[in-house]
Amino acid sequence: MSSPSLTLPSQERPTARRRLLEILGALAIAATYVYLVLNQPADITGGPGSASALIALTGFLAGAVLLIAAVLPTLPASTLVLIPVALVLNIILGQFVGSTLVPFYLDAIGTVLIAVLAGPAAGAATGALSSIVWSFFNPTVLPFAAGAALIGCLAGLAARYGLFRRFYLAPVAGFITGIIAGVVSAPVAAFVFGGTSGVATGAIVSAFRAMGDTLLAAITKQALLSDPMDKAIVFTIVAVLVYALPGRTRQQFPFIRRHRVLAGTNAAPAGKVDARAGASGQANDPTLNG
Amino acid sequence: MSVSPAGRTLPAPRHRRVNPLTLLAAAGSAAAITTAAADWVLSVAVVAACLGLSAAAGTARRVVPAAAAVLVPLGLSLLVLHGLFFPEGRTVLAEWGPARITAEGLQFAVQRILQLAAVVLALLLFSFSVSVPDLVAALSARGVQGRFAFVLASTLTLLPAIAGRARSIRQAQESRGLVISRGLASRVAAFRLQAVPLVLSLIEDAGTRAAALEARGLGNAGPRTSYREVPDSVLQRAVRVLLVLAALAAVVARVVQAGANG
Amino acid sequence: MAEHVAPQCFGSAGTQNTGTQNAGAEKAAGSASAPVLAAGIRDFTFHDAHAPALKDAAVSVASGSFTAILGASGSGKSTLGRLLAGWLPPGGHGTLAGYLELSGTRLEFVGGTGDPRIDPAQWGRHVGFVPQDPAAVLSTVRATVAEELAFGLENTGMDRGSMKAAVDNTAGLLGLDGILARDPARLSGGQLRRLAIGCAIIAGPPVLVMDEPFASLDAAGSAGLAALVRNLVKRGTAVVILSQAVEPLLLEAGTWLVLEGGTLTAGGPPSFFGPGSGRLPRAIRRLVAPPASLPSSVATSSRPKQGEPAALELQGLSFGYQEAPVSRRARRRRDPVRRPLVLQDVHLAVHPGEIVAVTGPNGAGKSTLLRHFNGLMRPTAGTVLVRGSDIAGAPVGTTAASVGLVFQHPRDQLFERTVLREVGFGLERLVGPAMAAERAARALQAVGLADAAREHPAELPASAQRLLALATVLARRPAVLALDEPTVALDGAGLAMLDAAVRSAAEAGAAVVLVTHELGYARAAAHRILSLDGGRLVPA
Repeated sequence: MSSPSLTLPSQERPTARRRLLEILGALAIAATYVYLVLNQPADITGGPGSASALIALTGFLAGAVLLIAAVLPTLPASTLVLIPVALVLNIILGQFVGSTLVPFYLDAIGTVLIAVLAGPAAGAATGALSSIVWSFFNPTVLPFAAGAALIGCLAGLAARYGLFRRFYLAPVAGFITGIIAGVVSAPVAAFVFGGTSGVATGAIVSAFRAMGDTLLAAITKQALLSDPMDKAIVFTIVAVLVYALPGRTRQQFPFIRRHRVLAGTNAAPAGKVDARAGASGQANDPTLNG
Repeated sequence: MSVSPAGRTLPAPRHRRVNPLTLLAAAGSAAAITTAAADWVLSVAVVAACLGLSAAAGTARRVVPAAAAVLVPLGLSLLVLHGLFFPEGRTVLAEWGPARITAEGLQFAVQRILQLAAVVLALLLFSFSVSVPDLVAALSARGVQGRFAFVLASTLTLLPAIAGRARSIRQAQESRGLVISRGLASRVAAFRLQAVPLVLSLIEDAGTRAAALEARGLGNAGPRTSYREVPDSVLQRAVRVLLVLAALAAVVARVVQAGANG
Repeated sequence: MAEHVAPQCFGSAGTQNTGTQNAGAEKAAGSASAPVLAAGIRDFTFHDAHAPALKDAAVSVASGSFTAILGASGSGKSTLGRLLAGWLPPGGHGTLAGYLELSGTRLEFVGGTGDPRIDPAQWGRHVGFVPQDPAAVLSTVRATVAEELAFGLENTGMDRGSMKAAVDNTAGLLGLDGILARDPARLSGGQLRRLAIGCAIIAGPPVLVMDEPFASLDAAGSAGLAALVRNLVKRGTAVVILSQAVEPLLLEAGTWLVLEGGTLTAGGPPSFFGPGSGRLPRAIRRLVAPPASLPSSVATSSRPKQGEPAALELQGLSFGYQEAPVSRRARRRRDPVRRPLVLQDVHLAVHPGEIVAVTGPNGAGKSTLLRHFNGLMRPTAGTVLVRGSDIAGAPVGTTAASVGLVFQHPRDQLFERTVLREVGFGLERLVGPAMAAERAARALQAVGLADAAREHPAELPASAQRLLALATVLARRPAVLALDEPTVALDGAGLAMLDAAVRSAAEAGAAVVLVTHELGYARAAAHRILSLDGGRLVPA
């Protein structure tokens, strides 16, 4: 790599190591979730400080770190320098909204923006990094890294498959992403925190608890009330922002060119790329990196 | 207590002699061990130790408000949630309609709050004591770590800069006759008008920065060096290994114990 | 790779020759006459564009040469500069047909997938580039100026001793010695530009390309830059400056190349383009001729209506930034500490139809003064009267109906999706839909942007963006028109538009205040010139 040549090799393919890390990361997150859901009834009565909190923390965090380790080294500089910008948008809006009594978070606008501009892999890495960097000021967001990575990945897939081409489809994609992300994040809130970190969301959980639900069920239901709406709003905001960008700014992102992410932009000669993407599966495809 | 800017460049305090990774290992293992132990005595001890250390290091003024901003809403939320509604509770202390204050619920809430307070304080103590440039230099040596360090440091630099940019955009737009009233619709419209140029200029700047940093070798695969000298020693390296091992041991012990009981 | 970068080699191309190259290589640079950097661009088109940004442009520079590429705003200068510097690798943002040649390696591009892909890091070690906005090159991850300079060297794995030597050497060359320990985010504009140049040259590239390096530099800054360029050329570096105006330093260049509409139309020594030759397009301004010779046409054409009451009046205006108190307790305990006043007891009355220019060096507080006109900044003492009434309690958005302020960075003021919507913003509420359409069209006409009504404001060239910001304000017909550095980034054509628009606004009864560091423009445009010095406003 450090040869004095002025040019780069013509093709770069993701290494086997990267794929292995990606698969391990996804497995760690999925296995942790399944374990927590299967074992939860015994847990609450077992009192606080159970092993479940540790398993939730380690499993989700390890998964998020593996995903970052897989994706981050492969991102081009143009995406890498955008990530801090996305994190600042997440943190500024998230802190602001979190301090109000609105039962939303709006802390994923930057993540979804990157996912739409640069693809699912970049989105997942941004989501996970967002939680980790934000924990520098607010350590309680750290355990949600896996959920944030999932949101970034799903947003990127939604963009990849054209859900941002029609304006009305963006909130629908957000709604579905919210359902999935909410269900996955609920065990973290239940086992690590024993509740939610906001007063408004806490009140909703209380209502379900008053009806006799288990803690996990109550938090999952609260997440299903808040998250889909929240992500529908976030996806809509991002769609508005992306369509307001001038053409040249949008077209500088290879992911947008290759997959014709947005309506009204020229389709790149992408037939070959698309065929390859279809053959080799989704998250591991090199073209998803942008 | 004069307000001279020179105050910021006084000789480095003692904790600056510590490698930032040692600080990180200490905070991280304290957080992990406290969570694994789930013992309120240990939680209280860690909280007290963190408060004492931050007072000694002179960071208490920043650590305590930051921790309070996180812990107060969380604590209130947990107290209301488990104090009033804990269907699993048996020892009822008071009852109003569907709300029942139970001893178990209160105990659960307090334990959780103490444990989270310990973790939050330990990690915030690290955030506010560490020298970010040192941390970045210590992490920059290799691939993933270097890129993570870039993201962390760049985010911390951009936070005030982007807030300032948003402010100047708002001023420029107000000068064009934009009046933001209290109504929700007006605020949403104003948000859109301000977000568009903000995001656009951020993306364009990022494009220029990407080109500049690529030309300066950000993407180089080879080994990197550091201009900044970060203090480190054999002793500190050994302490870091020990701390990580201790944290791992605590986690494993807890999980094994839970497996044996369950 | 550390051994390849000698810390103090600002030397010739020969020492930087990287030897054997891969597929694209044709020959190795050997003779002194071979160009160190060359490009033959048949066509460069951005991905979404319908027309090429560059067409038929050939550039070739030799070691130790000094080249100026002159072109109006939107002529493709920056695109050409970025292509030469490897900041716009062909294939990434657009497709190139043609070749790029660097230190003896020629890369041929046809615009297809088989094209070579430039390695920006390797290219950057041969060509340093300084973009228009120097703040954009900062890594944002280094805490001091010294570390920022060293960033590029760290990435090549250079040992610390050599890095320190290179940093000291570069800092000495650029006069950054005194600020090596400062935070790069807190530098002034001039310091920032010197730092950006330092970052570009620290690895000793044989070529340095600078895009509009003079923009918003005052006289002292320009003199420093000129000395630096002479020094680099003497050491054997090939220097290329892209500019839309003929700055005095550019008269020393060996070659001028003129870029018009993306095509190189003429080239030759500066003498070939003498003022009488007519070979330089009118859009390229000459900042060389003494501006005093310009006739002050304004003074004769229109007279301010002195009889009427002042549209804008400042009475005893003073302003100082408040020092942030250390703690809430300190805030309560004692009065806030104040730095020296930025504005001191400023008195000014501007009548309808009058054009007043305010000049002064960078950092004198000119922008601060303008921001008081509509209440963006509130005076520490004194009053601001607009059309006779005190604006003290009024929100900025309301005062904006009477005071139109055009900012130094017009991009911050633009937020709509098309030029027409941008000018029409808020007009309907002000004058009703029928009038709004007419006023918007007229304002666009006044600045020559009527044909661009459907374009995206952010995609306009810098000169047109500034004129658009002016049009948004003109459309509202404010009683007071305040312009902050309106000439920056304007080419010759844009300057003529600005001049005409300002004059006709004044004739229509607006009171105009313009702040500028360009004394020549101030003399030509204004009825009277005031100078802001040490916080006081005095006749210049």
